[in-house]
Amino acid sequence: MSEIKKIKNLKEFSTSADRFEGAHLLCPGCAHSIIVREVLNATNDDLVLAASTGCLEVCTAVYPYTSWDASWIHIGFENGSTAVSGAEAMYKALKTKGRLKQPDRNPKFVAFGGDGSSYDIGFQWISGCMERNHNMMYIVLDNEVYANTGGQRSSSTPIGASATTTPAGSVSYGEKRNKKDMVAIMASHNIPYSAQVAPNKWKDMVKKIQHGMNVEGAVFINAVSPCTTEWKFDPKDTMHLADLSTDSLVFPLYEIIDGHELNITYRPKNIVPVEEYLAAQGRFKHLFKDEYKYLIKEWQTRVDANWAYLQRREEARV
Amino acid sequence: MSKQQGWDEFEIGAMLRSFDGKIDECPAFTPQRDRNYSQNSSHVASVADWRLIKPVYNKDYCIDCQFCWVYCPDVSIISRDKKMIGIDMDHCKGCGVCVEVCPTNPKSLLMFPEQADEETEIASWPTKDEKEE
Amino acid sequence: MAFDKLELNEIEVWDGNHAAAQALRQAQVDVVSAYPITPSTAVVEGYAKFKADNLVEGEVVMVESEHAAMSGCIGAAAAGGRVATATASQGLALMAETLYQASGMRLPIVLNLVNRALAAPLNVNCDHSDMYMVRDSGWIQFDAFNAQEAYDLNLIAFKVGEDHDVRLPVVVNQDGFLTSHTAQGLHPLSDDDAYNFVGEYKPMNDMLDFEHPVSHGIQTEEDWHFEHKARQHADTMNIVPAKIDEAFAEFERISGRKYNHIEKYDMDDAEVCVVCMGTSVETAREVAKEMREKGIKAGVIGIRVFRPFPFADISEALKDLKAVAVLDRSAPGGAAGALFNEIAGSLINTDTKVLLSGYIYGLGGRDLTKKHLVDLYTELQANADAGKLLTQQQQFIGVRGPKLAFL
Repeated sequence: MSEIKKIKNLKEFSTSADRFEGAHLLCPGCAHSIIVREVLNATNDDLVLAASTGCLEVCTAVYPYTSWDASWIHIGFENGSTAVSGAEAMYKALKTKGRLKQPDRNPKFVAFGGDGSSYDIGFQWISGCMERNHNMMYIVLDNEVYANTGGQRSSSTPIGASATTTPAGSVSYGEKRNKKDMVAIMASHNIPYSAQVAPNKWKDMVKKIQHGMNVEGAVFINAVSPCTTEWKFDPKDTMHLADLSTDSLVFPLYEIIDGHELNITYRPKNIVPVEEYLAAQGRFKHLFKDEYKYLIKEWQTRVDANWAYLQRREEARV
Repeated sequence: MSKQQGWDEFEIGAMLRSFDGKIDECPAFTPQRDRNYSQNSSHVASVADWRLIKPVYNKDYCIDCQFCWVYCPDVSIISRDKKMIGIDMDHCKGCGVCVEVCPTNPKSLLMFPEQADEETEIASWPTKDEKEE
Repeated sequence: MAFDKLELNEIEVWDGNHAAAQALRQAQVDVVSAYPITPSTAVVEGYAKFKADNLVEGEVVMVESEHAAMSGCIGAAAAGGRVATATASQGLALMAETLYQASGMRLPIVLNLVNRALAAPLNVNCDHSDMYMVRDSGWIQFDAFNAQEAYDLNLIAFKVGEDHDVRLPVVVNQDGFLTSHTAQGLHPLSDDDAYNFVGEYKPMNDMLDFEHPVSHGIQTEEDWHFEHKARQHADTMNIVPAKIDEAFAEFERISGRKYNHIEKYDMDDAEVCVVCMGTSVETAREVAKEMREKGIKAGVIGIRVFRPFPFADISEALKDLKAVAVLDRSAPGGAAGALFNEIAGSLINTDTKVLLSGYIYGLGGRDLTKKHLVDLYTELQANADAGKLLTQQQQFIGVRGPKLAFL
C-alpha cells in the first residue's frame, strides 16, 4: 500500500504536476478532461490507464500525439476495462516472479469509458472485471449520450432528452426510458467500493478516488460529465451545469461500501428545482412546451423519490 | 511533428512515447516545465488556432484560490507554489470556464476577442462598482 | 512460493489439447486469459489444473467471453509479459475484432486455435472455417497435423512471435477432436530444455516500465494508417520467414524434429500431389504411399506455415508437377477455396503447366476417408495423362446427394 497524497485544500491540490496534457482535441469546455485531471492528480503513484473508444480516447491519442504522461492503452469500444484487468494480472504475475522492472512502484490501474462504452456495449466486460474483483478502478465519464459520434442515445440517456436516435419531434418528446442505475448494478457485484462523483465537487472526487485507489479490489465510479456539445449549453457554463446536476439531486453524490453500506457524501444547502437543471440544456428545450410540462413534474417526483430512497438506505445502514 | 514519415521510419505498433529517454521518477513529482517531452506529446502541440475569444488575466484582483486551475479542461492555468501565474496560450481553447468560476469581484479573468491587446484591456479593467449584482 | 517442475517420461500419452497445455506450462506463461469452448476447453482446463497444483506461477484469468479473453491477453501483453490463450470456432468469431487489434499493436500472444466449424448450423466438429476467417488478421499461423506438432509448435510460436524484430501474435492450429482429443505417444522436451528453447520473455514498450511511459493502441487516420499497416505487412513478408527458419533449425537441434514452411512427402519425383492441412495430411501420406505401389507417383504437401504464406516454397515444389489437388476444409461461400486461391497465386506468372483442381471436403467433421483420397489421386493421374482437367475445377467430396462441382 502506498502513501496517500495529502491534499488539504485547493491551493495544495494546485501544486500537482499534471500527467494529462493540453492540446488534446476535446471540445472547449469539455468536462471529461476536468474529471480526468482531478482523478490523475489525486495520486502520486504510477498509473496504468485505459480508455475505451469514445471522446476521451479519440481526442487524446491520435497519431502523432498522445496527451498521456502515464502508461496508457486503448483496444476497442467495449474492452477498456478488460485491457486494464489484463495489465493488472500481468503486474501480479511479474511481481510473483520477481520480474518487475521497478518493484518499488505501486501502480494504480484505472480504466475510463464513456456511458456508451460502459452502460451499453462494454457492460458485460465491466461486469466481468468487477466480478473477478481485479485491483482496478473503472470510471464512467457519464455524459448520457454517444457524444463522440454525434449524439445518439445510450442506455444512460434520461427520459425526455432529445438525442439523434431518439429525437424530439411533433409527436415525440425524445428518449422514452429513464437511464439505468449503474452504480447500484455495479455495487451489486459486492465490490469493495462504488461511488458517484461530479467534477464541481473536486474534494469529494479526490477523497473517493483516493479511497478507491487504496482499497484492495475492484472499484466502480460514475462521474457526471456535462457535455457542452450534446447537452447544448455554452462551453463556459460547464461547471454551472455540474453544479445544477448535483444541487438539483439529479446526480446525487454518494458511495457504497462493500456493495451495501451507502453514504451520502454531499447534501446541497439549497436544493435547486429540477426544472432549472432541465432549462439550462437545449436537449430538454421541448419539455417546456405546454403538452410536455407534465414530464418536468414527473422528473421532479422521480428525483425526489430517488433522494428519499438514498436517505433511507443510508439510515438503514444495510 | 511536421514530417510525415514513411512506413519504415517509425517504431512498430500502434504506440507513442510520452517522453524522450528514461524518466527517473514518476512524472507526478516532476513539474511540466522540467520534463523532457517527446515530439509525440501533445504538450509540444498547439490548439491556439481553435480560439475565437481569449482569457486575459489581471493579477491585481487574483486571490490564488485555484478554481481556474482545477476546472480548466485544457491544463492551461499555470500555477506555481500555490500561486496563479498565467495562462498557457498554446493549450487554451478559449472556453471561458476559468472566467465563470473566478470568484473575485471584479473577476481577475475576463474573456476578450482573440485580437484584443492584453495591456489595454487590463488598463481598462472593470471595477467592482461596474459589476452587476 | 516457487512452482514445481514436472519430471516427464520420454514418451507421454497426450492428446493435442493436453500437449498444448503442457507447452504453455513449460513456456512459463505469465498470463493466461481464457474462456472455455469446445473443443479447445481442455487446454484451458489443463492449464488451470497446473495452476491449482502449483506447476505454474503465472496468473490465470477466467473471463466472461472470448472477446474479453483476447482483450485481457492484449492488456497483459502490452503490460509486458508472456501471454497465451485458446479458443475455437464461435469463440474465435467473437474475439475476431481483438485479433486485428493485437496484431496491429504488435503484441506477441500465442493462441491455440482448435479448429471447428462455424455455425449455422451449429456444429462442434472439425473444419477449417475458423482458421480461414482470421487468415488476414495479421497473425502468424502455424498448423499442427497431430498432437506432437501441436506441442512443438506452441514452443516455437513463443520464440518467433516474441522476437523483437517480429512482435506479432501467433495462432497454432490443430484439428478439433481429431487432434485435440486423440491421445498419441509424444516425445516432450524436459521442462528445462523447453524453457531454455523458448527463452526468457524480453519486454518491449511495456506499460509496466514506468521509466518509459507509452500510449498503446493510438488512432491513425488517413494520413498515418496506411503506413502502419504497410509496415506490418512488410515485416511479415520480409522478416518473419527467416525468423521462423531460425526457430525451426534450433528446435531441430534440441529435439531432432525438423519443421518446414511446407511439409513435403514423397515429392522428389512426384507427378501428382495433394495439398492440404491438419490431420488430412497424415491420411494423404498413407494413401500416397499406397498409390506408389499402384504405380502412381503420388506426393503430399502439408501447409505448416499458413501465414505468412509460403508462396516461393509452393511454386518451387509444385511447378514441375503434372496435376495437383488442393483440399479446402471450409465452405467457400461463392468462391474457390482459400487454400486453392493461395496455391494458384503461388503458381501464376511461372511457366508451370501444372493442372490445378480444388476439393471441398470434411465440413463439420465429416471424415475424409482413404477411399476419398484413392479416388482423388486416381482422378489426378487421369488429368495428368490427359494433359487437361477432366473434371470441373471445384468439386465437393464426401457429401451426400447429386455430385457437386463448379467453376
